[in-house]
Amino acid sequence: MKTMKPLLRSLFIPTMLLLGACGCCEEVVVPPPPPPPPAAPVVLPGLGDVFYDFDRSELRADAVGQLKTNADWIAANTANNVTIEGHCDERGTSEYNLALGERRANSARDYIVNLGVAPARLKTVSFGEEKPFALGHTEEAWAQNRRAHFVAE
Amino acid sequence: MIQFFRGFVSGIFAMLFCLVFSPLYLSAAEGQEYIAIRKEGTGNIALVLDKLDAKGRKETRFAEILDATMHDGLDFTRLFSLISPPLNVKDNTDRKNVVINFPALTSVGAEVYAGGVVTMKSDMIILDMKVYEAAGSKLLLNKTYTGTEADLRSVGHAFCADLVELLTGKKSVFGSKIVFISNKTGFKEIYECDFDGYGVEQLTNSKSISMNPTLSPDGKNLAYIDFTSGRPTLYIRSLNGGRIAAVGKSSVSIDPGWRNNNEVAATLSFDGNQEIYLVNSDGTLSRRVTNGKSIDISPTFSPDGSKMAFVSSRNGLPQIFIQDLASGQVKRLTFSGRYNTQPSWSPAGDKIVYTTWEKGGEINIFTINADGSGLVQLTQRSGENKSPSWSPDGEMIVFSSNRLGKEKLYVMNLKGGNERLLLQVDGEQTQPSWSLFR
Repeated sequence: MKTMKPLLRSLFIPTMLLLGACGCCEEVVVPPPPPPPPAAPVVLPGLGDVFYDFDRSELRADAVGQLKTNADWIAANTANNVTIEGHCDERGTSEYNLALGERRANSARDYIVNLGVAPARLKTVSFGEEKPFALGHTEEAWAQNRRAHFVAE
Repeated sequence: MIQFFRGFVSGIFAMLFCLVFSPLYLSAAEGQEYIAIRKEGTGNIALVLDKLDAKGRKETRFAEILDATMHDGLDFTRLFSLISPPLNVKDNTDRKNVVINFPALTSVGAEVYAGGVVTMKSDMIILDMKVYEAAGSKLLLNKTYTGTEADLRSVGHAFCADLVELLTGKKSVFGSKIVFISNKTGFKEIYECDFDGYGVEQLTNSKSISMNPTLSPDGKNLAYIDFTSGRPTLYIRSLNGGRIAAVGKSSVSIDPGWRNNNEVAATLSFDGNQEIYLVNSDGTLSRRVTNGKSIDISPTFSPDGSKMAFVSSRNGLPQIFIQDLASGQVKRLTFSGRYNTQPSWSPAGDKIVYTTWEKGGEINIFTINADGSGLVQLTQRSGENKSPSWSPDGEMIVFSSNRLGKEKLYVMNLKGGNERLLLQVDGEQTQPSWSLFR
């Protein structure tokens, strides 16, 4: 308690001065007590999407680097579990794409588990063609939509 | 009473009501005889549907509504050539004894004549219908249909159903329902409408994503996929009690198809692989049907439930296969087309309709015999045509198409002819499924 007193005094005096200053010219505004420092915003460097070829759920060579980054992030952020969403482009039929999306999510999960991430921290789900990232009807848009999307929870 | 008649069972109930409480003089033997006389594939039945007789202001108004209902209903089936009645079709000089002028009917090419009278008894509307064969002036049907003003559409369609069954020997579309997906509200929700697009009603309001609705053959249960839980989950909803069973063991559920009134099949992946399972209508698992590492989806069953057609990627790109449920034997059905999905087994059991995604980007609808012969292309040069589903009489197919931009529902006959828009509502409509009432 003794150590708290100078601290409290040092807070109290400027506060009262401030209140007094405010009171001179306008309505008294009681400042709210200083909020507790907010939890550091969840910065998610590293968690990125990986992309797939048309009608394929096997990982491409260019997915490996991103999956390693994702695995490192998951290892470092033990407070967060991760859902891997499988997505497809709009072509073909929606039921088949729902199945294909799940296989994409599973192939990404299996790779990360092989890198040492506990399976219990990973969930997979498919959205098929229902939630495209890019809205165009070109190969460029489709390529961005054939993806496994990592979401921290 | 009016409340009772409304809703899903109204059509069926009205028909039962008429059957139970009305004098019935349907001569099955004569109907069979008539069917036998008509040669297979001789085209539409030339029908004179005469203006209904009615006395009194109310009666006349109801008669006009019934005239339009029956005309539009019979026209929708495309089974008839509707001929305007000749002016002298009835000799009304003797009011009590209306005489039909059969020579006048045959002279305009009519094969069948249907006419009737509308009367009222307290609040009940009574429709007395008579159907004659024009050439032989033989009475084929004499039947009374009864209902309140709220049931007029059901009353008119009950007669249409009898007429079609009498003349074709097959059950008709009247009273059947179509369930489908619409994004009108901004979310993909499930809706239903009558066979002709009339009476659209919203069935789900999950504000999530709903997919692949399908009614059990008896129309009592609706199976569908919904993302409310965060993942695609199979739901089985009782339409009478509103009880909803979620098949929650799975991580992902895909595209249900009913085997019979008590069992629905769907792809579930809770054991790691995407396999087709049979699920009881209370949501409990019955048994696993497929066993493999590939994608196996979209089960559809032969009418006796002994065989299942489904989509599998076991050979690479998706093709349609047929599995015998007792022996487990599987044979490939489709060899033409690189990407064949969305099979639906016909109510008669002879054909399977499905879609092919073509190289140029079109998706087209085909039918094939269940033995793999007789491939027929039903759509062409009209964008993406998807999710074909048979009418309960097997005479029509409902499907979605983006031929005019937005995805809308269309119906067509088995040769791909008579394509027309089913309903005009906002947004995009997809994944139609026609009820069976087997």
